[in-house]
Amino acid sequence: MTSFGVHDTPMQELFGEAVFAAFDDADVGPDEVEALYFGNAMGGQAENTTHLGPQVATHIGMAGKPVQRFEDACATSANAFKNAVQAVEAGIHDVVLVGGVERCTPETGKDTDEMTRIFASASNRQYEQPTGLTFPGVFALLTKRHMHEYGTTEEQLAHVAVKNHGHGALNPKAHFGKETTVEEALDGPVVADPFRLMDCCPFSDGASAVVVVSDDLADSFDDPVDVSGVGHATDVVPLADKEQVHVTQSARDASAEAYGQADITAEEIDFAEVHDCFTGAEILASEALGLVEDGQGGVAAAEGRTRRDGDIPINASGGLKAKGHPIGATGTAQIVELTEQVRGEAGDHQLDGVERGVAHNLGGDAGTTVVSVLEARP
Amino acid sequence: MSTQDDIELPETLSYHDWAAAVREDRLLGQSCEECSHVGGVPSGACQQCGSRDLTTVELPTEGTVHTETTINVPPEGFEERGYQVAVVTLGDARVMVRIEGEHVDIGDDVVLSGFIDTDEDHPAPTFETAD
Ligand SMILES: [Zn+2]
Repeated sequence: MTSFGVHDTPMQELFGEAVFAAFDDADVGPDEVEALYFGNAMGGQAENTTHLGPQVATHIGMAGKPVQRFEDACATSANAFKNAVQAVEAGIHDVVLVGGVERCTPETGKDTDEMTRIFASASNRQYEQPTGLTFPGVFALLTKRHMHEYGTTEEQLAHVAVKNHGHGALNPKAHFGKETTVEEALDGPVVADPFRLMDCCPFSDGASAVVVVSDDLADSFDDPVDVSGVGHATDVVPLADKEQVHVTQSARDASAEAYGQADITAEEIDFAEVHDCFTGAEILASEALGLVEDGQGGVAAAEGRTRRDGDIPINASGGLKAKGHPIGATGTAQIVELTEQVRGEAGDHQLDGVERGVAHNLGGDAGTTVVSVLEARP
Repeated sequence: MSTQDDIELPETLSYHDWAAAVREDRLLGQSCEECSHVGGVPSGACQQCGSRDLTTVELPTEGTVHTETTINVPPEGFEERGYQVAVVTLGDARVMVRIEGEHVDIGDDVVLSGFIDTDEDHPAPTFETAD
């Protein structure tokens, strides 16, 4: 993956940087790779660029090979990953490339209010957008209900931000490399209550890519990591019609599917990368994935249980909050992070002795969630 | 203002029917004949059971706040800051609305107050405190 942050680089070049790193890591080139599963969510709106598949394939020397492009808001490249894994498992391909790219910063020429509107396009056009809903607003609605149900506090939300900024400070690829404090987080301007500036992930540019190979071929590659489960579920949009707005049901359904494939329970997971687009989203995810009990997500964050030295480390990379969130690149960036952690190659932010990790990537108001389990190859 | 007695409800509820009703200070939803689920906005099939046997229903215009937020960083096209968006429970349905007037909290009673259509003529219902 590239570093996440501000990149004054066309999308195909940014994607190329991530792909060539993945090619070199797997010691493959465009000849051996049979297909590209590609994610980009907003290039049409943000940069007047559609039909990106063959354009990025051309840049990486893969023109001629089939490319399928995915758009599922923030879950874009996790969905690409799921489809790639299924195609390889089904025997359609043996070696495929999966990745995503996005530019969201003002380098696109779009200011905050324009980009806020583009992001809001993932909510319902007729029944949500006309209220003036934004994406911080979407997760504020889910989180406020969680606070009402369980007594989750703004201070607990701030602990998530502090933790993830602390983690991001150890990750040279993170958008933000600076630690923060609960006091500083609680002192920031309100974006959509209960979220202040430090509760929100940044607009980022970046790209990520991984190579997926068949089980039969895996041992001919250096240091392969097993994909033992990928679950994918949707939920009702608009969010008012969800059965319970604070439970993120699609994450519960997707994780049940992924854990079933991997034949594990949540207790057997060593660490997680979850979709903390907002601090509240991490709290909801930690519960939906079964990593902490329902209602305890805020408490667990405040007690340090989800810190890198806690009993269930969450977002050791810094998460979307500090690592950054280039929409279409986020899903496969989580897969890169899990791979490096399981291999023991995560550098300064390496966790001790982790063998099995889970990635949780959601789109929109959790209308889509993809959950993937990666583990050391026996 | 129309009353619910003198307007025939459409057999199949479309967005255009729903939007026209919002402009007349009315809210239409759908009740499922199979499982009784009530959806707050038009859909082709029931969210709960998938049945297409849906009956258009008039939703109550008084209800309670299910969740809410105040948005201080608006999208392009929404110029003023600090407006409140809520999901309100209206009988058996829930609907996303804009709150006008004083701030409301979860559990507060609210009543339909009209609509806004600042977003390319898409109407959104507005509610205000019932106290
Ligand atoms: Zn039904």
